[in-house]
Amino acid sequence: MNQVVHKSTVQRSLSAHAALGLLASALLYILCLTGTVTVLYEEWQRVEQPDAPEMTAIAPAAVQTAIANLLAGEKGRKATGHLYVHLPTDALPRTTITTDNQAAHVDARGALAMPERNAWSEFLLGLHDMLNVPGVIGMTIVGALGVMMLALTLTGIIAHPRIFRDAFRLRARDKGGVGLADWHNRLGVWTLPFAIAIALTGAMIGLGSINGYGLAGLFYKGDLEAAYAPIFGEEGKPDPKSAPLPDVAAALRTMAQRFPEARPLYVILHEPLTAGQQVQVLAGHDRRLIFGETYAFDSQGRFTGKAGLSDGHIGQQVAASAYNLHFGNYGGWPVKLAYILFGAALCGMIAAGVLIWLGKRERRGFHHPRLRAAWHAIIWGVPFALSMTFLARLTIGNEAPFVAIFWLLLLASLIAALCLPDTIRRGLQFLLGAGVIGGGLLAAALALGG
Amino acid sequence: MSFPIGLLWIGGGGAVASMALLRHAWGKPSRSVPLNLGAWATLLAALLCGMADSGAWGMAVVTLAALAAAFLCLAHAALAAPPGRQAASNRRVRMLPEGAEPLRLGARFLTFALTVPGACLTALAIALAARAVAGRIGLHDADGNVLMLFLMPLLWMLLVMLLLFQDRRRAQLLWLSLPALASLLILAATGTHI
Repeated sequence: MNQVVHKSTVQRSLSAHAALGLLASALLYILCLTGTVTVLYEEWQRVEQPDAPEMTAIAPAAVQTAIANLLAGEKGRKATGHLYVHLPTDALPRTTITTDNQAAHVDARGALAMPERNAWSEFLLGLHDMLNVPGVIGMTIVGALGVMMLALTLTGIIAHPRIFRDAFRLRARDKGGVGLADWHNRLGVWTLPFAIAIALTGAMIGLGSINGYGLAGLFYKGDLEAAYAPIFGEEGKPDPKSAPLPDVAAALRTMAQRFPEARPLYVILHEPLTAGQQVQVLAGHDRRLIFGETYAFDSQGRFTGKAGLSDGHIGQQVAASAYNLHFGNYGGWPVKLAYILFGAALCGMIAAGVLIWLGKRERRGFHHPRLRAAWHAIIWGVPFALSMTFLARLTIGNEAPFVAIFWLLLLASLIAALCLPDTIRRGLQFLLGAGVIGGGLLAAALALGG
Repeated sequence: MSFPIGLLWIGGGGAVASMALLRHAWGKPSRSVPLNLGAWATLLAALLCGMADSGAWGMAVVTLAALAAAFLCLAHAALAAPPGRQAASNRRVRMLPEGAEPLRLGARFLTFALTVPGACLTALAIALAARAVAGRIGLHDADGNVLMLFLMPLLWMLLVMLLLFQDRRRAQLLWLSLPALASLLILAATGTHI
């Protein structure tokens, strides 16, 4: 075989691959698993609250009524800085209004129906976006893990010069360690474009805060909003004098008339009920990777311009495409299923990676039963803990302490692994199976009962 | 969402066909250049069909179709694989000490400090310098800022790899400090307030 890559480079790459893998595998596994589950973010919200009113569309006048109803109920409370109306979509056919104070579902006539109760879905998203560590720190850690995933991908390729040549060779039933290595390498090759796409977009999104602060500090006199304004558009100048509710219905009618190809996804009110208020409609474009285009309107509902995410500068279009490419919500069920399949494959690849390293150590005569058990506690303990949070949502309710349940159960799994290294794997597999079946049955029963 | 028949379907079909052709080519006892080229050309044509139909979205969908087809080939390989027990690799990756070798915790911590926060800061400096240059050559702020947002993680990844490939600490420090210094000079030269 021609030695395309020098032997010492291969060896160094393998060492780097192992070092990065051991450093980041546990957290990367959590991110990949939660990312895979989060592909169904909208569907989970429907499972959480099956009795919320659903509709395929809502009339502009009903949206206006709903906003007025919600804001009327907020008199005497701290004025909200923003108001978001989620409009019905194929994946989440509900109308939901969110302010700084509350979130509520509305019916097709614009009447307030019930408070939004999707704490488990939000917990899941928070676990994936920031490992439940609030603020910039959590997002930066997740962004850094995206960078590590990119580096793992590249070092993995360099460390295995035959990886493409053997890309279809899978000795899946080999028990001597070859099978595990084949699974790791094959899944690695065939998830390569997917892994690079989600790792790069994830790193870009996660590191957006510190990068944004860098841009703001050096080029925009410390104004973070100004750093992002050329990309996503800017908000109007605030004017705190009170003003009547803007004509959102007119804005939505204008959207239907002037931009029939755009599907309104959100109505956003900046500084509602003030003279500086601004109406934006975020609308999706079919067969585009961008999450949408922002259409701006004045208080009378007159169109004033768009941000340019769909047809502006290339940087705007690239940035707006990163989110859908990361979350897999750009092509309905076929794309979602593909993301779930490849996400699960990434989880399997990460799980196998550490087991391969442990196997090599064992074949060299160095056994680490507790380390192996601890890794099994991660592989099986993470989905088990996640299934328990879901069960808690269905049994305790929206107020269940999901963050505490997840991390304490994971900690308990790790402690159990150290105390009972021989039985932890089977035990957690059994508990995971029971949790998944129990959650599934309970969710089905609640949906049927509702 | 439904996929209308058109170039996108042709691209999707081409992507599946390219994977089947690649599977066939790589399964032969010796490499066939025409088959390999044919497979890659088919994949390229499929991607171009996706792009012609719906731009980046079409390319993404065609790529997913190709990957799904490859996974089907893999699933077949897994199901058809005979049971075996070959000797697996025990290549040492030098992550943990063997025998009486020292653990070198201090050195490990320093490597972590250089490759994670150290490389992060250097990557940030280079990306910001690139943003400053982009501004000077007339790139719009949107393009310059997004360039910086994507460049930073890519540079960090490259630095992580470069640092881990070095045997000597001095080389690692040079790889971190020289680009950072050059970036600071570029920022100063372009009139950016540091």
